[in-house]
Amino acid sequence: MTTHTDDTTTARHAPELPVRLDWAGHAPEVYKAMVRLDAAARRGVDPTLYELVKIRASQINRCALCIDMHSKDALAAGESVERIIQLSAWEESRHFYTGKELAALELTEAVTVLTDGFVPDDVYERVAKHFDEPELAQLVAAITVINAWNRFGVTCRMTPGHYRPGQHG
Amino acid sequence: MTARTRLLDREVAQAMSALSAAAKKGLGDLALAELVMIRASQINHCAFCLDMHLTLARKNGESEQRLGLLDAWEEAEELYSERERAALALTEAVTVLTEGFVPDAVYERAAAHFPDGELAHLVGLIAAINSWNRVMVGRRIPPGGYTP
Repeated sequence: MTTHTDDTTTARHAPELPVRLDWAGHAPEVYKAMVRLDAAARRGVDPTLYELVKIRASQINRCALCIDMHSKDALAAGESVERIIQLSAWEESRHFYTGKELAALELTEAVTVLTDGFVPDDVYERVAKHFDEPELAQLVAAITVINAWNRFGVTCRMTPGHYRPGQHG
Repeated sequence: MTARTRLLDREVAQAMSALSAAAKKGLGDLALAELVMIRASQINHCAFCLDMHLTLARKNGESEQRLGLLDAWEEAEELYSERERAALALTEAVTVLTEGFVPDAVYERAAAHFPDGELAHLVGLIAAINSWNRVMVGRRIPPGGYTP
């Protein structure tokens, strides 16, 4: 895979920005709780669906590290390049995704962008047709957790480009 | 208003509580922690969280004036310390990621008032309250259910 570290391309690229803060090193108990939360929230959530959710939330929150990580993890798990590329325009690329995935992506956007208003009833009702109540509660938690990782990644300016698929299990 | 669902996986809830507790402890400033959590909950429109953290702040002796004007803290500078204002600016930036990255000026202002350890926990606290906001708004948990 060609990455930004490829010798033939780096000469023309801007320099890599330094990490602002090693938050996990300075707050190990917080990091430990995040890892525990991540493990708890992903239980029962379809991993293929969850990678799409994680990439979409990370796009909205513009978390470079998270996009790097979850695109690579999705590809390594056999996700198609097309479905990953089309994610940022999924409303116009509906035929790439199942009805269940589309409903989950719509919920992901609503739960990620709370500042534009509450999670709309129609969005919630659409997703509730595809997930039973415990699954849906778990999906809300899973969307919440990637949002939390996004906040650490962006605020501490964690550097993208160095992630190897499966690195964080 | 009724909740859409009250389900929340027990392990998820416990891990979120551990996250909040660890962040709050490492920040070591309860009054500031409540201001941060109230401000994030205002931005995310979380009724349950606002009710809970306003109740907690009042119980801790926070002033009505500081609570009432928190939504306009930039125009009420004399009510909050420079350290608190730096934390509130960071809270807003980290909560609203959709409008751009956390600006260098906001980050540096916070870093000038909080050593790395406290800053890491402050970021953790902002991420934690944002998480509670999402699981409460997503499930539409009505306000008023919290008793200190």
